[in-house]
Amino acid sequence: MAIATQPGAAASAPKLEGEQELLVTGSEAIAHALRLADVDIVAAYPIRPYDAVMQAVATMIANGEMDCEYIVAEGEHSQFELVKHASAVGARAFVGSSGVGWFYAFEAIAVTAGLRLPVVANVGNRALDDPGAFGVEHNDALAVRDLGWLMTWVETGQEALDAALIAYKVAEDPRVMLPCAVSTDGAFLTHSQHLVKVPPREMVDKFLPAYDLGDRLFHPDNPITIAPQVDQDWLTEIRKQNDAAMRRAPEVIRDAYREYYELTGRQKEPFMETYMTDDADYVLVGQGTIAMPGRVIVRRLREQGHKVGFARLKWFRPFPAEEVIERLSGFKAVGIIDRDYSFGSPHHGGVLFTEFRAAFYDSPRRPAMINIIGGLGGREFTAADGQEMFTLLQKADAGELKTNVHWIGVRE
Amino acid sequence: MTIAVDRPPDVDLSSIKTVKQVPYTEYFVSGHRTCQGCESALVMRYIAKAAGPRTIVLGSTGCMYVANTSYYTTPWVVPWMHTQLGAAGSAALGASAGLKVLMRKGKLKDEPINVIAFCGDGGGADMGLSAISAALTHAEYRFLVILYDNESYANTDIQLSGSTPYGAVTTFSPTGKQRRIMHTRWKKNTPGALVAGHPDAAYIATADAAYGVDFMNKVRKGLASGGPAFIHVLDPCPKGWHYDPQLSHELGKLAVETGIWSLWEMEDHVVKLNGTTRAIASGRAKRKPVREYLAQQGRFAHFKDEDYDLFQRRVDEQWTNWLIPGVVSFGIEAGTPLNMPTQSAPAVSEAISESV
Amino acid sequence: MHPNGSASAPASWSVEVVYRGIFQKRLANRISRGVVLGARREGKVGTAFARYGDSPERNGIPSKNFAVVATDEVELESSLARYEPERVEISIVVDDTMSKGVESWAWYGVQPINKLVVPGGFLLVTSDKEPEELLKAIKTKPYDYTLVVVPSPVHAGVFAPEGSASFAGLWVDNDDNTDWNCLAAVARVAPQVVSLDTVLTLVRERTKDEARVNAVKANYDQLKIRPVNAGEGSSTSFEEYQKPGWTQMREGIIVEAQQVGTRNPLYKKWSTRTRRPLVNFDTCIKCTQCWLQCPDECFEVTPEGTYEVVYEACIGCSICEEVCPVPDCIVMVNELAFDDNDSLYAVYKADPEAYRAFLQKHGVPLHPELVEKAKKTAAVHDVQERKWPVTVAGGEE
Repeated sequence: MAIATQPGAAASAPKLEGEQELLVTGSEAIAHALRLADVDIVAAYPIRPYDAVMQAVATMIANGEMDCEYIVAEGEHSQFELVKHASAVGARAFVGSSGVGWFYAFEAIAVTAGLRLPVVANVGNRALDDPGAFGVEHNDALAVRDLGWLMTWVETGQEALDAALIAYKVAEDPRVMLPCAVSTDGAFLTHSQHLVKVPPREMVDKFLPAYDLGDRLFHPDNPITIAPQVDQDWLTEIRKQNDAAMRRAPEVIRDAYREYYELTGRQKEPFMETYMTDDADYVLVGQGTIAMPGRVIVRRLREQGHKVGFARLKWFRPFPAEEVIERLSGFKAVGIIDRDYSFGSPHHGGVLFTEFRAAFYDSPRRPAMINIIGGLGGREFTAADGQEMFTLLQKADAGELKTNVHWIGVRE
Repeated sequence: MTIAVDRPPDVDLSSIKTVKQVPYTEYFVSGHRTCQGCESALVMRYIAKAAGPRTIVLGSTGCMYVANTSYYTTPWVVPWMHTQLGAAGSAALGASAGLKVLMRKGKLKDEPINVIAFCGDGGGADMGLSAISAALTHAEYRFLVILYDNESYANTDIQLSGSTPYGAVTTFSPTGKQRRIMHTRWKKNTPGALVAGHPDAAYIATADAAYGVDFMNKVRKGLASGGPAFIHVLDPCPKGWHYDPQLSHELGKLAVETGIWSLWEMEDHVVKLNGTTRAIASGRAKRKPVREYLAQQGRFAHFKDEDYDLFQRRVDEQWTNWLIPGVVSFGIEAGTPLNMPTQSAPAVSEAISESV
Repeated sequence: MHPNGSASAPASWSVEVVYRGIFQKRLANRISRGVVLGARREGKVGTAFARYGDSPERNGIPSKNFAVVATDEVELESSLARYEPERVEISIVVDDTMSKGVESWAWYGVQPINKLVVPGGFLLVTSDKEPEELLKAIKTKPYDYTLVVVPSPVHAGVFAPEGSASFAGLWVDNDDNTDWNCLAAVARVAPQVVSLDTVLTLVRERTKDEARVNAVKANYDQLKIRPVNAGEGSSTSFEEYQKPGWTQMREGIIVEAQQVGTRNPLYKKWSTRTRRPLVNFDTCIKCTQCWLQCPDECFEVTPEGTYEVVYEACIGCSICEEVCPVPDCIVMVNELAFDDNDSLYAVYKADPEAYRAFLQKHGVPLHPELVEKAKKTAAVHDVQERKWPVTVAGGEE
């Protein structure tokens, strides 16, 4: 039985020389990664829940634990624009936002990918207004899925730290040079404390080379013009370059995880972690902190003798279609859990569901696949939800479902 | 004027005494796609010329982006980078902060590098005002934001901006059968607002493309100020103002001579009126009637006497009612002491210490 | 049938109007719309559109718009959702100084004015010059076509500025019949696109002025029609730019900067010019004003400290003429009088007398009384500072 991830998995990893264990929030864990990565510039603007990471960085700077420019912008648009330009002059930059704040920066977010600047951003996932809500939904980060940002969702404080370091490694790789968004679920990860192993600086220095833009550096010694206006004669070629960079990313991600695993014994699986799926008939799939209630649900159902497993998607962009097909084909039924919505999409389902369906279209062994939409606005997943999901999976297998998209725990 | 850092010889920001001292070398060269008689392009040329080779320029969306830098060519000799329409302030801030930290950490050779970001009136007076305002509060960074004001969104087909003069015809304020004047707002006093509200700005000035040496000196002062600097430069636009391109220089001068536009600078926290504007304020020169300036522009062709009169009245008020002529757009109650007697300073601090 | 009556028989006709950006926008728009509306009167269908790559237009920079007329919607469809037709049966040029070639502000390079004209097609140019004179400037084609010169409007009360590149005027648009005359010219060479009767009907309806109708008819009769054989015309060569592919282009949307002392080699801008500044080197007092005020960095200092114009960069805005304090030291002259962008300083150096004669030939008063004073003035810039090559007779110095 594959148990790639379960509570305490990190704790069981070998202790490194100079490694510290701390009880910190996911946001604070990312701040430690930024300190270790010797990030040069951070731009902050308040919006919960992501801004916990900016508060943590500010404290580290105030205490002299970190040397970086800390700029409080007057809005998210400026916040993202100024790290973009700092990145262009060679500074390792960090930024972030949540919900509608992320949308306020949308223009800057789009051009950062177009300019191939490897800024790393933390999205503390939050429902979009209106109505205002602080809880988690994934629609904020997901909205940039077509723009050329690398996008990963993490589950634990430990993974938040590890992923932030890996994010810089991948984003700044000359083969890629794309910005990266590390998504952390609002409240469940941004504001809950986990036991986190903080690697020693030496290890990080070994893992993460200095940020080098090479002949793209915006500096008086490098006479270039960046991003002149183009017309139809050029844009196709420029988009193709971004496409090629994104196509090279999976290999770079695999290399980075392999290297990180060798150094820390953590993060073996780059793209997808599975739990009790080897002998499973049914598998639930989700991303982010959903994996925790997800595994609990699996164990409850296993206690009842049902062969159910859980799979967690770690990278959404690039979408690991190969891995997904290889590891989810052949089950009786798969339930994709969306903590988001895509109104009017095919099947009127969620974003993940639509992507998984697309990924499996050419697979001869594609399983029955249903969509579970739930946990919106941070609503918790309960054991009852688990039972309902299982029933749906069974019916899907038996071909008894009239529709393949199901909202869980919604009051009629 | 104190210069923040020692400069290598190739970063000469000394003042240009006469036209004969204007550097010959261009860092913005022929082959941009601007209109005949484009004063905004002249402004770009002056900026590059005054700043010299140790400079990086950030240009926000607008004519001076689209018309100058069209893939796969460029008129720029110094490094140039596009920034978004409302982002001149944040681009300047981000680039200068990035350079500063890299130099402090020894990741980049420690040397003075001029960081200049420009935007048009759409990008500066409208959309980007909050970013510029924020940038001007960052006293620890050294950069210059230049707003080139051609008084409309000239790249998108001449739509009115917050910087478009009262009554001007634009594609968003045409003159029609029912309404002769659609644009009834008075031009925003952007530099006045910025100088009044940003006590930590190291240098703020206005300029005019027709006064090239004055402008180039202001660019150098801004760069040498050692902190956040801002220049608002007016540049006539033959396309948007609808006049024969050969009048560009003359209209630039008339804007100042009529008192519609003022030349001033805030240096070391003191505002000085410059050149013709100073002469007008001190009574040594007489303001020309605004009609001499307006009547040469097609965008005011629909003006009637009453419109000219109103325009003249509003401009007169800038000189008769404003606290600082042409600079601060409000007056002050008669008899109000304009600054605190120095001896009262200790009393104040005592009062504070008592209250503690 | 084909406009020139040849065997090939397209059922749709493309017409382009080449004009000075902004200045002639309305004129060009009236012409292309007129073609479509006229053809519509005769039961045909059509579309009119501007080349999107020229938008936003820049003062004086050559732009294009188009009219496509077809016998039915199906024929028309192949011309819809396009930026620019690949070929045109008729090209209308409303400023004869563009005969030398045109460069859009989007990066296409300088192109021959007759680039799109098909074999047997027509190039209509509004001009008071003779066809022979225009042909000297117009690039050769490997096949036959016809040049038609539309003379200046003859109509009392209609303003046609003398010697103006555009009869209708540049920065102001004079409603002087130029649009109607061009439509009438189309009717003359391609009656199947729109007939003269229809054009005259349109003029009558729009102007309610019989004098104008007659003026258009008169202009129709006065067209100068000159069949052009393959190989006739100017042998000037136009660069064809090769656009690199995505694997050759630098990543991160980056292009190389220019070097100090150079000018953008891929965009020369001279085709924006209708008039060029001539400098009287004898009376120049080296005050630097032309050099300082030029928005296009066109002036270079000479060994004597005077300033010469780099014509491949000059766009003819006239600011130098305006700011020069010396009478007639800089004078703007119609561009068609010149067949290259070579240094006139070189001509002056080779033979000052000949150069003075040349200035006079172009109506520039020499002001000999100012020469002595000018000689005494000191140079401001040292020619050593100049990186741009100084050309004198027999090549570079």
